Amino acid sequence: MIQYAAIILFVFGIYGLFTNKNVIKMIISLNIMEIGLNIFIISIGFNYDGIAPIISSTNDLGYIFVDPLPQALVLTAIVIGVGTTALGLAIAKNIYKTYNTFELDEMEESA
Amino acid sequence: MSAILLIAIPLLAAFLSIMMKKTSSYILLAVGIFNVVLLFILPDGFVIIGGFRQPLGINLLLDTYSRIALLLLNSLILVITYLNLKSYKSYGTILMLALAGLNGLVLTNDLFNFFVFLEISGIAAYLITTSNKKPRSTFHYLILGSVGSSLFLFGVIILYAMYGTLNIVGMIRLIQASGNYKEVILPFTLMFIGLGVEAKLLPFNSWVKGVLGNSNTLSGPMIASVYAGSMSFVLGRLITNLFNFQGSLLTIVTIILAVGIVAGDLMAFASTKTREILLFSSVAQASIIALLFVNGIIIWAVYLIIANALSKTVMFLVINKATKDVGSDESQDLRGLFIKNILVGVTFTLATLSVMGLPLLVGFKIKLAFLTGLADANHIWLIAIILIASVIEGIYFVRLLVKLWYKGDKEINVSYNYSFKTVFVIIALALLVFGTYSTPLNYLDNSIDTVMEEVNNG
Repeated sequence: MIQYAAIILFVFGIYGLFTNKNVIKMIISLNIMEIGLNIFIISIGFNYDGIAPIISSTNDLGYIFVDPLPQALVLTAIVIGVGTTALGLAIAKNIYKTYNTFELDEMEESA
Repeated sequence: MSAILLIAIPLLAAFLSIMMKKTSSYILLAVGIFNVVLLFILPDGFVIIGGFRQPLGINLLLDTYSRIALLLLNSLILVITYLNLKSYKSYGTILMLALAGLNGLVLTNDLFNFFVFLEISGIAAYLITTSNKKPRSTFHYLILGSVGSSLFLFGVIILYAMYGTLNIVGMIRLIQASGNYKEVILPFTLMFIGLGVEAKLLPFNSWVKGVLGNSNTLSGPMIASVYAGSMSFVLGRLITNLFNFQGSLLTIVTIILAVGIVAGDLMAFASTKTREILLFSSVAQASIIALLFVNGIIIWAVYLIIANALSKTVMFLVINKATKDVGSDESQDLRGLFIKNILVGVTFTLATLSVMGLPLLVGFKIKLAFLTGLADANHIWLIAIILIASVIEGIYFVRLLVKLWYKGDKEINVSYNYSFKTVFVIIALALLVFGTYSTPLNYLDNSIDTVMEEVNNG
């Protein structure tokens, strides 16, 4: 079920990228898309009633663990997403400096 | 000595160079030379990281295929850095990041690690394009690149959910064992689209015009030669081993690529701007390369990548330097460019004729060989499309050459320094020598890519 929510978020993000002409809104859409993807990754390893995959001194037999690998992957994906967003915002600042607007439509002639 | 150094050293040097910004380009030169030397002494095989054997953990695969790719991209970055030592001093750190990312991309045998390197090299590419001073096209590239790599990651995660591994060799083994190709169509399509954005394949490449159409002596050859070459190599490896297109997916991909070849050449034909002509020609060539990989003609696709990367380096450097000095890239404004630069003109002409595939140049030998390969596989209509595209290519390139050689209304003064000329002459000679004496090209065959061998050996 959670995967459907993730895919819907991902599609919302892509829709936002296609329909928005504002640089900042496009970066936000990109982030929504990435969040959808991250939730999708986490959902792959999720188990109902699963516990954190940590080996303890007590008897762990009989417990269901969640898959730890997608959690490790999603951490990396989040960091990369933050990096891309930071770079996107830096370029957005540069765009504003050059064209005096965030709207892609309005910079058409001066580009 | 291990292949991991090819990634670790540039990455470490990139961090250190932040403190020594002025000398970053010189550090990059040292790192580039170190990498090229290292590539000659490293043994073939898997590099296990952290002691986790396959399919656990991340490992790298160095074979003849990846060695050729690494030699090409490391030496090209070295040459491009050397030529731009004065004009783009502060880009050393970014180029080292690009070097680490691209080296990792070629070497890695882990799909998530592949995505990480795709993003590292992508971020470096966006930063390189900032040198164009066109933030709008850089932003466009960033958005498309990020969507592309997200789609790639989406595909990878679906594959992980299905097979429980991220190891490429292990995954190929599991897919073969399952024998059900239909269930992997969705992830493979997502991954192909994701990589298609970076590999400049039509219709996923709308960023190319803004980025390469405004490129300079750094960003032009970096994006058109180094990035395009590396992405073609990694796309080729995934196409021939992992994707292994079949059935309706094979038909759709072949049609997309065939349309890409003709459309790329037609757009180049319709353009009057020299940089646009070169970039659309690159788009068409990228589709040809992918098409060869889809049809299993690995070795000639590899030679085509090398020949294209070298030719496009010369062409973009010549045109971008002229554009910078003249202030326009309209072919009409660059009339008579070679009248005072005969040596540069000759090297540019040789590079262009090689891309067109004229006899005596290496492009001819490659084109002949891959067309024969396609004929052996009975793909007559693909041959017809490539030949039609070649005719269009011939027309716009000859038209361009005529303009650049014959005098126009204005006299233009563009001077190329000795280091530029030396690089042009060496590349042009290489294209000529391997075109006339092509026996060394037959030493290697499709077995340079050892992934399937590893899959079968268990």
